[in-house]
Amino acid sequence: MTLEIKDLFVSIENNLILNGLNLKVNGGETHAIMGPNGTGKSTLAQVCMGHPSYKVESGDILLDGESILDKSVDERSRLGIFLAMQNPIEVPGVTNFDFIKAAIQTRMKKDEHLRIGRFILKFEKASQDLKMGQGLAHRFLNQGFSGGEKKRNEILQMKMLNPAFAFLDEIDSGLDVDALKLVGQNVTELKSQDLGLILITHYQRLLDYITPDYVHIMINGKIVKTGNLELIKRIDQEGYDWVKKELGIEDEDKKPYSLGTCPSKH
Amino acid sequence: MKILEFLKDKENLIAFDNSTTINRADVSIKNNSLTFKKGNEFFVFLDNYDAYNELEFNFHSQQKIKLFIIVYQNKSIKMDYSFNLDDSVELEVFTNFVSRRKTNNISNFIYNLKENSSLKLLNAITFNGNLDLNCTVNLDGEKSEATIDLLNIGGFSNKHKVRQDVNHQSKYTESYINNWLISLDNSVLDYSVSGFIEKGKEFSKCFQSNKGIMLSDSSQIAVEPKLYIDEYNVEAGHGAAIGQIDELQLYYLLSRGLSETEAKSLIISGYTLPFIDKISDEDIRRHVTSQSSRLIRRKA
Repeated sequence: MTLEIKDLFVSIENNLILNGLNLKVNGGETHAIMGPNGTGKSTLAQVCMGHPSYKVESGDILLDGESILDKSVDERSRLGIFLAMQNPIEVPGVTNFDFIKAAIQTRMKKDEHLRIGRFILKFEKASQDLKMGQGLAHRFLNQGFSGGEKKRNEILQMKMLNPAFAFLDEIDSGLDVDALKLVGQNVTELKSQDLGLILITHYQRLLDYITPDYVHIMINGKIVKTGNLELIKRIDQEGYDWVKKELGIEDEDKKPYSLGTCPSKH
Repeated sequence: MKILEFLKDKENLIAFDNSTTINRADVSIKNNSLTFKKGNEFFVFLDNYDAYNELEFNFHSQQKIKLFIIVYQNKSIKMDYSFNLDDSVELEVFTNFVSRRKTNNISNFIYNLKENSSLKLLNAITFNGNLDLNCTVNLDGEKSEATIDLLNIGGFSNKHKVRQDVNHQSKYTESYINNWLISLDNSVLDYSVSGFIEKGKEFSKCFQSNKGIMLSDSSQIAVEPKLYIDEYNVEAGHGAAIGQIDELQLYYLLSRGLSETEAKSLIISGYTLPFIDKISDEDIRRHVTSQSSRLIRRKA
């Protein structure tokens, strides 16, 4: 399968965030997207998932050549797009088990029935692989989870749902070294010709465990440079200023746009 | 009398219609008055019952009783219920009104608690029709306490008007009200929740929590939480939080492939779970779960 983003312009509340972005991901490929804060990396993932707050001004998102812009969030998910979120949402009263079971059932044909025994075994295996501990099935979705547990739970869902394209949006944030290694191993094990991975990250450390085929640098809402592992090393050592200098990019006077607020003490 | 299927085999069943009374429990029934003797779990089924317009439940000192009351009606009914708890009674009451066609229900519940008595009240309201429910708790004796948990799911164009009053009439009395409200379609849920602490009834506690979710643009929830306190040495608090379903939760579930109906239904079932979990009888729990999910899945 192929996911192609063509000349995509996206805004939120009249602020243009994506500015003519192009990207093509084939099944089996792993792409890393790096870039300074507020450059639109998470927006890209959310727009592909269909977040209703973003407005596509022009351009297209094609899945195997078919536009998915008119598809709803749940339809995109069922078509094979997955987003491991930067801030997974807590849903009190809904158990992980019921949630994932419902998510799998939505992917089944009308005459198909979920084989519950097989499902339980798969769930338990995924849970063990990610060291989620006993009782995960009956815990409420992300409620009371540590930051690391939430991120691992995103990967667990990815393992259970077998997407065709997965965006991992800063999956490394909030993970300690051991958890990062575990997540990296689990994601690497999932790599196959049937999965296209898009890793959004600020740091090299995630890419030590999940090796990308392509590394893209995103600045001011578009991909400005594409390279390989060498690019990561240079970013890690020198930051992004050299890219801006090399390409003659002026800093935009734009603040990162947030969809929500963080609780803070004043 | 048509006893609901899941109640048919219950031991300690007491069932009324206007011409028949079935009494499988050790309960003395005189006209409109029930006095509970042996046993600690009773099921009361009222099938279109309004012969006396009044039912009285009496509990003796030291009794520990769970009472499940199901009111079934296919005509409009007006009833008064009173519960008299002697000293040191521990009473759990579950109430549920069932109607297969749109009817009206006017019900007044009065609970009178003497010293050291405790009342745990669970009201599951999934009633199809207009409801006018008044619930008054009189904490007459010292150290008496009441916990009221209520789940109300309103659908169609039904109006549910509920008034909950707790009167702290002695020292060291405690009351806790938790309301979970969900309105669908064009339904209106109108709540007045009041706690009264008279002067001199010190060391009392009175708390109210009201949460509401409106699942359609034309549904309404109005809650007035009120505290009338004429005594300094008390603890009290009240609040009401009403809104639409959490958009972030909805988006998260949709992003995993659940349809909007499935996602909303799952979020609402999570929202009602703390109430449902409090129902100790498995059959009743299943009955309430099925009633609420039928209502919610229809429109979520």
